[in-house]
Amino acid sequence: MAANPMRPYVGRLAGVREVATGVKLFQIELTEPEGQASLAEYKPGQFAFLSVFGAGEAPFGLASARGPYLELGVSALGHVTNSLHALEVGDPVGVRGPLGNWFPMDQIKGHDVVIIGGGIGGLPLRPVIHTILDHRADYGHLTILWAARSPDLLIATDEFDEWRNAPDTEFHVTVDQGDENWSGNVGLITKLMEEVAPSTQNTITVTCGPPIMIHFAFLTQQKLGFTPEQMLTTLEARMHCGIGKCGRCNMGEKFICVDGPVFWQYEVKEFLEGFL
Amino acid sequence: MKFTTRDQLKAWLDGLAAEMDLVAPRGVDGHVFYRPVASGDEVLFDYERPELSAKAFVFPDTEVFLRVEQRGKDVTVEEVRTERKQVIFGVRPCDAHGLAVIDALFLNQEPADAQYQHHRERTVLVGLACPRMWEGCFCTSMGGAPDDATHLDVLLREVEGGYAVEAVSEKGKALVKGLKTKQKAGDPPAPQTNADAVPVVDTATWRTLFNDKLWQRHGERCLSCRICTYVCPTCRCFDVVDRVVDTQPGLTRIERIRVWDACTSTNYRRAAGGHNSRPTKPGRIRNRFYCKFCYYPEDFGPLGCVGCGRCVVSCPVDIDITEIMRDVAAKGGQE
Repeated sequence: MAANPMRPYVGRLAGVREVATGVKLFQIELTEPEGQASLAEYKPGQFAFLSVFGAGEAPFGLASARGPYLELGVSALGHVTNSLHALEVGDPVGVRGPLGNWFPMDQIKGHDVVIIGGGIGGLPLRPVIHTILDHRADYGHLTILWAARSPDLLIATDEFDEWRNAPDTEFHVTVDQGDENWSGNVGLITKLMEEVAPSTQNTITVTCGPPIMIHFAFLTQQKLGFTPEQMLTTLEARMHCGIGKCGRCNMGEKFICVDGPVFWQYEVKEFLEGFL
Repeated sequence: MKFTTRDQLKAWLDGLAAEMDLVAPRGVDGHVFYRPVASGDEVLFDYERPELSAKAFVFPDTEVFLRVEQRGKDVTVEEVRTERKQVIFGVRPCDAHGLAVIDALFLNQEPADAQYQHHRERTVLVGLACPRMWEGCFCTSMGGAPDDATHLDVLLREVEGGYAVEAVSEKGKALVKGLKTKQKAGDPPAPQTNADAVPVVDTATWRTLFNDKLWQRHGERCLSCRICTYVCPTCRCFDVVDRVVDTQPGLTRIERIRVWDACTSTNYRRAAGGHNSRPTKPGRIRNRFYCKFCYYPEDFGPLGCVGCGRCVVSCPVDIDITEIMRDVAAKGGQE
């Protein structure tokens, strides 16, 4: 009998750190050989279900392309996510995955890349950034536009220096509202996009954030001259299976879990039903 | 035709009940449901349409599918399976058709749904043809018929003094070996069907009507009660939850459970953080009908409706799938 795709592989929490207020990045080590094999390789943009046994499971974007652990970022918002936040290093967890499609990194090779990340939506883009930085010669100029509602919600601040100093890379960050310690850009990410105005020449953009931000980021990119064939995004939806069965995540005839989560903008605009 | 009597069927069912799980139409407080039975005597032979479809016996409304034991930091995960075979007797052809619709997604789209596949493989469907169509039924418009054998393992048709027996599949042939039959001349009578067909239009036409006002009109009176999805033989949305069943020092036992879900419920699309991309009743009603007549056929093949009519008679505010299909056909024709 084929492996049951609804059965999680057992693992343990190998590390955890707070990466923004209310957001923790979990490092997971799988302990069952089948699980180690299943998740030995995954691609930027794919996701996995994370279980706290007794509380339930929920899907999260795989947030790293660098080993040795699986990394998933979790914002404490509901029952499962608050239970995840209560875990300590060494505690058991379950993982199902990798699931969904991925960013077409081979197709992106040779292009300039603009990364547009809003809030915790930056985490699923982290593997894209890692992949580009770890294979720097394969990609053109990298522009990272990073944003959050407030400075304490900025994700991956410990990697900002690496990104700023990486070859042929520029990094810009903004917050909707600053605080007394913030001396950087203030304003929506769309404002930052217009200020930086990245060239559309041979460029692919990759956007992730809350739905409303993705919507307006698309509009601003169009204004800057990007075509739907140049714009990638990754969408999210509440889901319970991740394998196209449970029905929860349909946007019209598309299922976010198996047809996505990664979509080109020309696909998104053809959805009968919007993601907003 | 192969002929058998009701008494012979009962004796056969007694034998089956001793060996496997037997489900059959049964009277419950004046209503008819498919229910587990222990003998042929408990089985109803004269009934219309059971109030609920047979889907719960291969896709239970609530089912423990994993048992998890946590001892200290060690976890074991066990998949829940039963070795017992199951016969669903007296299943109406529309309900077997409903399972075939679910098969198109749960079995035919990779990866298969392991739990559903397990139940499907252990189950034999013995159908009893409807002598006529009932209130609200429109199976003939949805590619079925009151005596359609296509999705069954065995089909019984009522004839003078007993039943005509047709073993449809290999599973069915094996099962009826134990049933006493004799050859008899003649054919079962054709069932009585409704004259007025419900129009089924292609998905391209549905696509032109996504933003039509008809969804507002039909949807705004929805109560989000979800009965339509509950009685539906093809609705298959589900949720997954954990339940802690036992806690002792150093030991926790957990069940992971799958439960039916409904796209017509208020918070179906509500995500963590509160975003709900389908916040209105018309939007949710529209999704239910697009799932059945546009998305499902485009994505998986069959239409997501078998014309059993249960949602028509169950809806407390008379949202009528046949009226919606007629509206869509009329509007689509005007485009």
